[in-house]
Amino acid sequence: MTYEASKLVRENAYAAGNALDGYFSIKVAEDSFGLPVTRVQTIFRIGSVTRAPGGPADIVGLVNLRGKIVTAVSLRRRLGLTPEPGGLGSLAIGIEHQKEAFALLVDEVGDVLTLTAETAIVAPPHIARRRARFAAGYHRIGGKILPLLNIDAVFDFAGAD
Amino acid sequence: MDEMLKEFLAESAEQIEAASAQIVAFERNPHDAALIASIFRLVHTIKGTCGFLGLDRLQKLTHHAESLIGCLREGAKATPDVVSAILAAVDRVKILLGELEEAGEEPAGDDTDLIALLDRHVASCQSGQAPEPEPVSEPEPEPKPAPVGLETSPAPAEEVKGPATQADLDALVASLRRSAKQPAPPAATPVAEKAAEPKPAEAKTGESKSSETIRINLNTLERIMNLVSELVLTRNQLIELTRHKEDETLKSPLQRLSAMTTDLQDAVMRARMQPVERVFANLPRMIRDLSNDLHKKINLVTEGADTELDRQLIDLIRDPLTHLVRNCADHGIETPEERVRAGKPPEGTVRVAAAHEAGQITIEISDDGRGLDINKIKAKALALGLASTAQLERMSEDEIYRFIFSAGFSTADKVTNVSGRGVGMDVVRENIQAIGGSVALSSTPGRGAKFALKIPLTLAIAPALIVEASGQRFALPQHSVVEAVGLSGGEHRIELVQGSKILQLREAVLPIASLAELLHLDAPEHSAGEPEQLAVIMRVGAQSFGVTVDAVTDVQEIVVKPMGGSLSHLRAFSGHTILGDGSVVLILDPNGICQAVGLEQSREGAAARVESGRAAQSDKTRLVYFRAGAGVDKVLPLSSIARIETVSSDRIEVSNGMMLMHHQGRLTSIVAAAPDVDLKQGDNTVFIISPDGEPFGLLIDEILDIIEEKLDVEISGEQPGVVGAAEIGGRIVELLDISYFIEMLRPGHEHSRRKPDHKPRLLLVDDAAFFRDMLAATLQASGFDVVKAASAAQAQACVAHDARFDALLIDAELSDGSGYELAERLRDGGISAPMLALAPYATREVIRAAEAAGMAAAVGKFQRNQLLDLLRACLEQGEAPGLDSSFARGAAA
Repeated sequence: MTYEASKLVRENAYAAGNALDGYFSIKVAEDSFGLPVTRVQTIFRIGSVTRAPGGPADIVGLVNLRGKIVTAVSLRRRLGLTPEPGGLGSLAIGIEHQKEAFALLVDEVGDVLTLTAETAIVAPPHIARRRARFAAGYHRIGGKILPLLNIDAVFDFAGAD
Repeated sequence: MDEMLKEFLAESAEQIEAASAQIVAFERNPHDAALIASIFRLVHTIKGTCGFLGLDRLQKLTHHAESLIGCLREGAKATPDVVSAILAAVDRVKILLGELEEAGEEPAGDDTDLIALLDRHVASCQSGQAPEPEPVSEPEPEPKPAPVGLETSPAPAEEVKGPATQADLDALVASLRRSAKQPAPPAATPVAEKAAEPKPAEAKTGESKSSETIRINLNTLERIMNLVSELVLTRNQLIELTRHKEDETLKSPLQRLSAMTTDLQDAVMRARMQPVERVFANLPRMIRDLSNDLHKKINLVTEGADTELDRQLIDLIRDPLTHLVRNCADHGIETPEERVRAGKPPEGTVRVAAAHEAGQITIEISDDGRGLDINKIKAKALALGLASTAQLERMSEDEIYRFIFSAGFSTADKVTNVSGRGVGMDVVRENIQAIGGSVALSSTPGRGAKFALKIPLTLAIAPALIVEASGQRFALPQHSVVEAVGLSGGEHRIELVQGSKILQLREAVLPIASLAELLHLDAPEHSAGEPEQLAVIMRVGAQSFGVTVDAVTDVQEIVVKPMGGSLSHLRAFSGHTILGDGSVVLILDPNGICQAVGLEQSREGAAARVESGRAAQSDKTRLVYFRAGAGVDKVLPLSSIARIETVSSDRIEVSNGMMLMHHQGRLTSIVAAAPDVDLKQGDNTVFIISPDGEPFGLLIDEILDIIEEKLDVEISGEQPGVVGAAEIGGRIVELLDISYFIEMLRPGHEHSRRKPDHKPRLLLVDDAAFFRDMLAATLQASGFDVVKAASAAQAQACVAHDARFDALLIDAELSDGSGYELAERLRDGGISAPMLALAPYATREVIRAAEAAGMAAAVGKFQRNQLLDLLRACLEQGEAPGLDSSFARGAAA
């Protein structure tokens, strides 16, 4: 078994955002989400994943991020989309939630957007409950609708299906 | 909450705890003036601080308690009633302190009832005076003069506020007492005053003593501990990386870093250590209350209260220990009448003894009571359906006693409020096992019972087997592993009995399950031959069972980290860790696996058999018994084999007459175990041997078995690659010589400088079979000839038989004495060869002790490379005894 270390892509993401209302736009499959810059600790490519047998299906496994063990969660699986090929080299966002270190696997991390109260819109009413649960709000920016990722829901496995 | 209040709470909690313990002690020994003075001082200090902080309610209560304690100090008799009253006050103070801590302010309410009680006792103690009928219910001003109800109170209204008034207060109390005393001789006055005076001074010395210690927030300590754990991991990775580099400039600072990390780890562990006294402190009070409630006379003896243990563990053993002591007092000790009838002294004894033993803490809780009632246990076991009459008949007494650890088991006829509710012993055992400990039980009818707890020193670091199942590695804590058994040979086979997997091992019938199936692992993409040929036999409490794995790849000290919240519900795992190569592995929880195997109701007996079988073979070595070429069968110590792999012939390439296989991303050379072992088409069995982290393969024909046998090589081999022949189970086998194969593969290797017949001869003295085997195998593989001894006596016998040793490795702590003493004795006996002290960690103390004993160096048992380096350095320095070089010190420090 060979071990591949996780590699940092961007550290201290907060510095990258310029304001408290800065949001990363992240992408999985066809979906985009806004993720508060303040919640993002690192962006890195994961190394070897150790699977956690018996754990929630959305948890891909455990990875070693510079000597720290991080729980890797697939956002695609979380949203009920086709799972990513996953594994080595997947792009991950380091987020701490209730004192547990998580790595959220996503397809792409885009620019930092500034969202304000003016860009906020009411939730489209017809979004499936299963999906809507992962949105903490909706914004219209640049002619597109961007849901904000509900981090608490993403990492709350107790309430999940 | 302000800092001062916090400080006060922390301090008072300790003081009140100490006071309550001392009061109980004083009751037993009422003539101990020093004890009562100390109690008085403790309560007085609390009272003073309460006054200073404006905690009126506490101050008032402690004041009255102090008055009563003062009476005792003046010679009043400590009747049980008086002591109970004081204890009641102490309890109230504890409650108030607790509420104060939670709310941040003194709780409302008053303690008139208690104060009245105290005062009545004060009055009656001061004799002559009838107890005051009405308690003092007056509010703020101050309470004291009223209860005593004596004339001359010149300053009743002026005290109470602030520390400045303490002296006045003391003087007042003293003067009151003086006048209250019956004889009241004038000469006594200055004495009494003197007695009162030194108090503040003493309190001050107490303070200055405590200034040598500081209170550290637990989180701070935890953080340091975590950082050190990380440091250890990084150090391990660094060592792994540089192992094959011959760069001397790097080696020496790395060695220092390594040694200092070990030291730091040790120091931090020590900082977390606390004496078990903290748990023992509650016991006297509990025993006192119990003897009153149960109308028994019970004497508590505690030993080894200074034994230190990780603070996390202290908290975890508190409940089980308390429960066991209660149990002894309640079920074990008889009533005084019964005892006298049985010819025993009326007073029963409960003994709690803690000791440090071979890297573990043992705590024994014993009583001299009636012992366990085997017939009651049998009846109850039958009633609960735990065993049939026929089964019970076949069981030994110990096996039957062990039923008391079953859930819902209680043989108490009547349920007392003390114990006997049927929740307990199973919980005790579960709690102890959860921390990697064990509970053993022995009993003699009419003479008493004894519970022995074995507890690891710390939870943070543990030796573990790294096992592989379906291509994934897991760490299995070694404390629960009994042995590993090969299944590919003919003897041990897994049978299906009514759909369940069973393994017959010696006498025992063990349930067995596949780890991969338990964990629902997917089959690996590329199956490496026949999987699950190794059964790891584990024991959890009374249960023994096996799990099959593909391989045991390593034994490592792992740093245990708890699982994150999202996975903490998985019962199969207790945590995770990072291995030397940086990969993450999950740590299997033996309890969880035991449950997953479906063992709640399996027979308790099986465990005992496995254990006794194992105990009888403790001086034996685990050997892999296999066939290689024509001629007799061969053996190798299992510990010298890193891994056993089945390799398909198409993964093996032959180039230049050398066999090579792809292994862990690099080419590994393979050598045939005998000249006539040929590569077969299809699967081949290869032992992976990794003497110094540079693995190579040994091609054999077929593994026959893994056996545990005493290995006496009788005829030394004339054949290359064979150490000699030995007889095992009536058959002749040959022990292979690993160093020969190393030389064959690596002609430039340093081993080759020493010719096989000039192998340095070592004496290895260690009482732990595990280390003995492990180190012996390592040393043998590194080209040493090793003689093993399990005790100081054995070592001396070995030396007496043949003193030609080139070096001696001696464990610092042996079962029959210290390793340092042994070294001195041997030195005095004329042994001049260098001696190395072995210890779990080469701490500064160990090194100093080794130095003092004239030993050449000290080294940690797990520091394999350092051990080899030191050993070679010692041998090259020749016969020079003693320690000259800073090298040895630096390397081992």
